[in-house]
Amino acid sequence: MKSFFNIFISALVPKKLRFEFQLALRHLLSGGWQTILTISAVAAGVIIVIFITSLIFGLQEMMSDLLTESIPHVVVQVEDPKPKTLTNTENPTSSRIEEQASQLKFIDNWEQVVRTIRGLPNVRGVSPVVSGQGFASKGANPVGVSVVGAEPELLDVITPITKDLTSGKYRGLGSDEIVIDAELAKDLNTQVGERIRLTSSSGQSDSFTIAGIYSRGQGRGSAYVTLRNGQSLFGFGTSVNVIYVKVYNIYDVENLSNTIMALTPYEAKPWTIDFSRFLVNMQMMGASAYLISIFSLIASAFAIASVLVVSVLQKSSQIGILKSMGARQRQILTVFIFEGLGVAIMGSSLGAVIGMMIVHFIGLLERPDSTGTGASNAMFPVRILPLYIGLAILAAIITTVIAAVLPARQAAKLNPVDVMR
Amino acid sequence: MKNSETITVDELAVEQNSNGGSPLVVETRGLKKTYFGKIDVPVLHGLDIKIYAHEFVAIIGQSGSGKSTLLNILGALDVPTGGTVLINGTDISTLDEDELATLRSDDVGFIFQSHYLLNEFTCLENALMPVTIRHGEADEEQTDRVLRLLERVGLSDQINKHPDEMSGGQNQRCAIVRSLANSPKIILADEPTGNLDSRSGEEVFSMMREMNRESGVAFVMITHDDRLAQAADRILLIEDGNIFEISKEAHRERVAK
Repeated sequence: MKSFFNIFISALVPKKLRFEFQLALRHLLSGGWQTILTISAVAAGVIIVIFITSLIFGLQEMMSDLLTESIPHVVVQVEDPKPKTLTNTENPTSSRIEEQASQLKFIDNWEQVVRTIRGLPNVRGVSPVVSGQGFASKGANPVGVSVVGAEPELLDVITPITKDLTSGKYRGLGSDEIVIDAELAKDLNTQVGERIRLTSSSGQSDSFTIAGIYSRGQGRGSAYVTLRNGQSLFGFGTSVNVIYVKVYNIYDVENLSNTIMALTPYEAKPWTIDFSRFLVNMQMMGASAYLISIFSLIASAFAIASVLVVSVLQKSSQIGILKSMGARQRQILTVFIFEGLGVAIMGSSLGAVIGMMIVHFIGLLERPDSTGTGASNAMFPVRILPLYIGLAILAAIITTVIAAVLPARQAAKLNPVDVMR
Repeated sequence: MKNSETITVDELAVEQNSNGGSPLVVETRGLKKTYFGKIDVPVLHGLDIKIYAHEFVAIIGQSGSGKSTLLNILGALDVPTGGTVLINGTDISTLDEDELATLRSDDVGFIFQSHYLLNEFTCLENALMPVTIRHGEADEEQTDRVLRLLERVGLSDQINKHPDEMSGGQNQRCAIVRSLANSPKIILADEPTGNLDSRSGEEVFSMMREMNRESGVAFVMITHDDRLAQAADRILLIEDGNIFEISKEAHRERVAK
């Protein structure tokens, strides 16, 4: 009667390789602590890779989210005219090139532009906006403030305000209502329900009831009014001066910006231009994760190779007797490669499971809420990334098999007469 | 595998005739072996040996006389430094590594002083090992044949046991069956009873002798046991790197001295 192993081997392994597979399997099963040690070495490598990538890429994602969640990913506006050098080179009057002062420029056909942008891939939200500078006052003390006029439902998708509200509301903002940030409220000594006056840089002035107060903990924020009120304050008529765009993939904004510029006569500025240093830092973090992963896999490969070398020495007389029975070098080589493969598959699977469990439980740890907003504060912003887990398993299998090749070649070349003497 | 050195059918017939019709299995012509090192040690000085099917040949000689070296060369495990070795008509010096492995698998069986059974496998799996190495897996016919051999050597109730669960004599009997698994032409036994007590040693020898008579496979056995040497068909003595065939009478006289 066939044993379980024989049935298993017959079902899975080609007949030509069954001897090699069977011997490798028996070596592993009878290896005891040696097998457990090598599997643990592979598992440790994979655990480190999964943990490091989950932590670093999780941190990267969190930092990117924090930075980009409250800013538009692409800002569409009328391009500032670029100053040109004088063409009359025979009689130059000045060699100095001076930038033109910033001006509010209108996007008159914004409805059409918004429709065009909404139809593009990777676009999550589009909001026409009137943006400018002004003064807020309650009584006699005007305080400088950035004013944003937009439809609350559209803007809330792009630069979320509702989630940062400490009191009041933003969505459903009325025609005489305003949302301000906590610092401005503090400076003006005001609160929800009270009225403040807003005067734009173009001189128009109106008074608003404070509908909500928000806090982002990032210094003074803008004051938000409806689009219509913004247009009135800055004298835009029915025009806007910027269009904010939110995307799904924040690292693929350059393509979208180029497409917008190709389809419209406006400048489309991706967030990455203002945060290029941040991007470099993110890339450095990613590179660190890869380096740590590579070194841990190399370290585990050395551990595996050394254990397999010892295994070959221990089995040298067995290799001799197998050769005396007609085993070829290729067969002996295959036996030890199979052993390495078995260790790799078991170790990387075990490492993946343990690694994911560690990442999961570490992700549950929370630090005390210091903002008072009641928001979730993960102590370690880890993310389980299936792609990196798959890559870690694949890399572990490849490095382990490579580590097994050297002792396997050593085994295959053993002279039976020498080892059985 | 055959080559210019391969003896022809006619030559084989001549060889058969010289030994009562049994074909020549192994032949050496001027076989030499020297171990090269800081000091070169010549071990075998040009041996001419002929081993025929059905024969049971005992090789005797003092320790270090080159008996094991000769056996390893006869089994294509080691290479001579001079002369020719023909196994089943093939000059082994013309074979590459893979062809030598095939030759060892198909034509030669080994029995060593230690049984060298693999502890990871059962008695039956060990006995089938040469078949598994050659074919990947033993078919029903091959398994039945090995099972019959195991029954023949009294191991039918031990087939599922591992070597560490069996006695030394049982393991060596399993090793005998293993050496016969691929139906070789010759079995080379290097002191197969050396590690066994006298009773187990006699049992193992009897079984080898029976297998030799029943299957016709030639046996070449190195032994220090004079009684076992006396029970062989022929006795070859290696002395000072040379080989002599001695009669049983002469052997008895040597022992008596």
